[in-house]
Amino acid sequence: MEVFKADVAIVGAGGGGLRAAIAVAEADPTLKIALISKVLPMRSHTVAAEGGAAAVTRPDDSLDHHFNDTVGGGDWLCEQDVVEYFVEHAHEEMVQMEHWGCPWSRKEDGHANVRPFGGMKIERTWFAADKTGFHMLHTLFQTSIKYPSIKRFDEYFCSDLMVEDGRCQGVLAIEIATGEFTLIQAKAVILATGGAGRVFRENTNGGIVTGDGMALAYRHGVPLRDMEFMQYHPTCMPRTGLLFTEACRGEGGLLLNKDGYRYLQDYGLGPAEDKPRNKFMELGPRDRLSQAFWHEQQKGRTIQGPFGSVVNLDLRHLGEAYLRERLPQIYELAEEFMGIDPAHTPVPVVPGVHYTMGGILADGKTASSLPGLYSVGECSSVGIHGANRLGSNSLTELIVFGKVAGVEAAKFAKSVSISNPGAIQKQAEAAQARALGVVNKSNGTERMAVLRNEMAQSMEDGCGIYRLGTTMQATCDKIDELRQRYKNLKLEDKSKVYNTEWLLGIELGYLLEVAQVIVYSAINRKESRGSHQRLDGFEERDDVKYLKHSLAYYTGDGAPRIEYGDVKITKSKPGTRAYGAAGVKADADRHAEGADNG
Amino acid sequence: MADTEKIIEIQVLRYRPEQDKEPVLQSFKVPFTDDMSVLQGLQYIKDFLDGTLSFRWSCRMAICGSCGMMVDGKPKLSCKTFLREYYPQGLRVDALAHLPIERDLMVSVEDFVTKLESIKPYIIPKEPRTLEQGEYLQTPQQRDMYEQFSSCINCMLCYAACPQYGLNPSFTGPGILALMHRYNADSRDGGQAERNELGYADEGYWGCTAVGYCSEVCPKGVDPANAINQNKMASAINYFTRFITPGGAEK
Amino acid sequence: MSARRPYVRSMDGWWKRDAYFISYMAREVTAVFVALYAIVLLFGVVRLSQGEAAFNGWLQYLTTPWMKVFHLIVLAVFCYHTWSWFNIMPKTMPIIFFGGKRLQPGTITGTGLVASVVACLAVLLIVRGMS
Repeated sequence: MEVFKADVAIVGAGGGGLRAAIAVAEADPTLKIALISKVLPMRSHTVAAEGGAAAVTRPDDSLDHHFNDTVGGGDWLCEQDVVEYFVEHAHEEMVQMEHWGCPWSRKEDGHANVRPFGGMKIERTWFAADKTGFHMLHTLFQTSIKYPSIKRFDEYFCSDLMVEDGRCQGVLAIEIATGEFTLIQAKAVILATGGAGRVFRENTNGGIVTGDGMALAYRHGVPLRDMEFMQYHPTCMPRTGLLFTEACRGEGGLLLNKDGYRYLQDYGLGPAEDKPRNKFMELGPRDRLSQAFWHEQQKGRTIQGPFGSVVNLDLRHLGEAYLRERLPQIYELAEEFMGIDPAHTPVPVVPGVHYTMGGILADGKTASSLPGLYSVGECSSVGIHGANRLGSNSLTELIVFGKVAGVEAAKFAKSVSISNPGAIQKQAEAAQARALGVVNKSNGTERMAVLRNEMAQSMEDGCGIYRLGTTMQATCDKIDELRQRYKNLKLEDKSKVYNTEWLLGIELGYLLEVAQVIVYSAINRKESRGSHQRLDGFEERDDVKYLKHSLAYYTGDGAPRIEYGDVKITKSKPGTRAYGAAGVKADADRHAEGADNG
Repeated sequence: MADTEKIIEIQVLRYRPEQDKEPVLQSFKVPFTDDMSVLQGLQYIKDFLDGTLSFRWSCRMAICGSCGMMVDGKPKLSCKTFLREYYPQGLRVDALAHLPIERDLMVSVEDFVTKLESIKPYIIPKEPRTLEQGEYLQTPQQRDMYEQFSSCINCMLCYAACPQYGLNPSFTGPGILALMHRYNADSRDGGQAERNELGYADEGYWGCTAVGYCSEVCPKGVDPANAINQNKMASAINYFTRFITPGGAEK
Repeated sequence: MSARRPYVRSMDGWWKRDAYFISYMAREVTAVFVALYAIVLLFGVVRLSQGEAAFNGWLQYLTTPWMKVFHLIVLAVFCYHTWSWFNIMPKTMPIIFFGGKRLQPGTITGTGLVASVVACLAVLLIVRGMS
């Protein structure tokens, strides 16, 4: 087995991983960085983010506004000290991206432009047309090439973490091109592997978003926090789940039911006005909009047709020229995938799974409970999203906390040395045998696609926009069963060169464990909060019992053990979460009581 | 979007280096609906007919650049090419032309990545600026000068469309030269002189004979042929003037 | 030991693989005809230097049936040549803004084609006027 000795190993080369790598390289150019990614960095799923990245920019905005929007948007399940750090450092990171060449959209005077986004009181979303994630990812990737200390392992698949002496000391990776294993020793490891949206059926995520880092950390005893909170994005393409960015609504797009009625006004988001107004109607938060869709469907007010049961996203009034400038990719998706010209026909949309709010437990400096292990981005739960993430906070999270992770990991790496390399080597050999076991099994009977489809369907049934104890229990049982059947997985491909079936097999193992964490965390949370909404007697938020983070611990073959941890409250006491006119009133009441911080 | 299931024949050029001496065609019958992409057809094959078929894919929405392949001889992103367009005659799928096949529909990407790394694809500031000074000012029109060239998703369709690259793989090639131009044309950048050494070399702009097919197949409207050919004039002027400027010829 | 064995496909007959390549090769071949016709004209200049009789002989030769056929072919080839080069011309020019709007490739090609037609007509009129 090849051995590579690094100071810091980073798993995942999307926005978070790349930003962290650059931060390590800038913190100390003598530190050797191994950047491991199962795809070429520019394929990472950051690429698909569309709308933008939030940072307080305008003179009429303030850090407190961004803080309040984020904490309220997260239904007070956010770590408030971490949110404070986040909003304070967002703007400088946007400027840093600009200096590195990110093609932010501009105002006529040459300054970066900002656009409105759901749940945000003031316009603060920096954007590069509707390909913000794409541009940020390519900018970071191309900038990373400047730093000779970053050694990339492109198309290397991470199959395990090396934990010795009670700390993380490296990773084991498979070179996809050859099927050979490389042990990457490292004094600190950063996981930046993205979310786990592929556990669901209809989702906006790329095929690579399989919860790898979450499952790896979890298997080594690090808890996964708040995993029951899965974000449904309200405007996705029916059947494929592809995303129509929230910027569609930020730019003035309307949501209409089968009567052409702006139904959001019936769900506490109104009144409907002609002009878009921040935190009203279409600019409400994602959880509320997805829930409103569900209710419309129950009432039979969605549109039935060739695309299934949908509502319309109406962009016609914005005109072709404006749409081509501000939402070119959306235009292209509608035209090419659906045969619809959005300047002339409303676009049918449905909610789809989009984002994993929870993740690997991390403190405000991205450190996990396992020394030497850090995490950043969607795989991580650093605590800013709470029970519902606001659109445009996640791209900002990547660069703000990517930098923190890099700086912290560099500091840690300089304070320790690799202990017991012999034992690590042994561990790597054992991990190699386990990974090969997935492919070398000769008596398997279970077809991978069948297991994957059953998992995705069951997760959609049990952990959808609204949840019931009974269906969640059925999903718990199903996932338990699938984890058993997974042991009997049958793979046809026994080759070594680019054996993608093997990797999909390992990924399915990751997916099933993360799925199990999601559904067990969900069934145990007997309240409704943010994106976790129940209809079986727990319709209200219960701050007495559940103003708590759920923490899922690995127990081997069985179901996860669910524990609860405190939520850090600094300056915003939990209040009524309201939008539209009701939101304005709630804000005024809070202000009068002094419960807010503004 | 009709739900009625039809059957389409997909021929795939297979190459498994551990068992095939050279690529061989294999045919699959795939049930499909009108909204299914070629990529989804291949996924069906992998899921239910032959788990050994290998190809790259991820985002499904034409932005990650993974799933480029030859569909009936044309370089395409398989995620936004639809099976219905090839019905009832069927279709043939090959790995991207002009690039070595690693396995099945997966090509070698090393040459592309090495070239990408070689052209200094990052801002070399014209005027350094601290974070406290805020962003560089750049008008929408200045942004328009490079924006389209920054839209390259590195899918390599243009390499599969470029016979010059196929004939001579040392040619830097359309996508990477477009990326080089993207930085040169950025008002914040001052690194053009450094990059020109590569652009003006034989493997640079002059490796292009203006076939123009690269721009035709580009799924993102980057127009690499334009990025390359608009630099030939400057390169030619540089070539001749260096003989008349003092000390220029030694460069 | 790596089991990788990248397979490089042959480029033989590459230009026949795609209609786009055929039209590209056709554009390149038209350059040969341009060169050929330049030789014909050059020959006329040489004959002119040899005196009036020699030049008239050359003119006479141009009116033979074979040369008429040759001219017709050359005319067709030149038309394709002109069209194909103006068609690629937008790719050779930097991005141009005109009145705040970006100049479209079609405009550049169209302007070029119109200019060449006008130039031809002008030459034709001048020649007619002289003879």
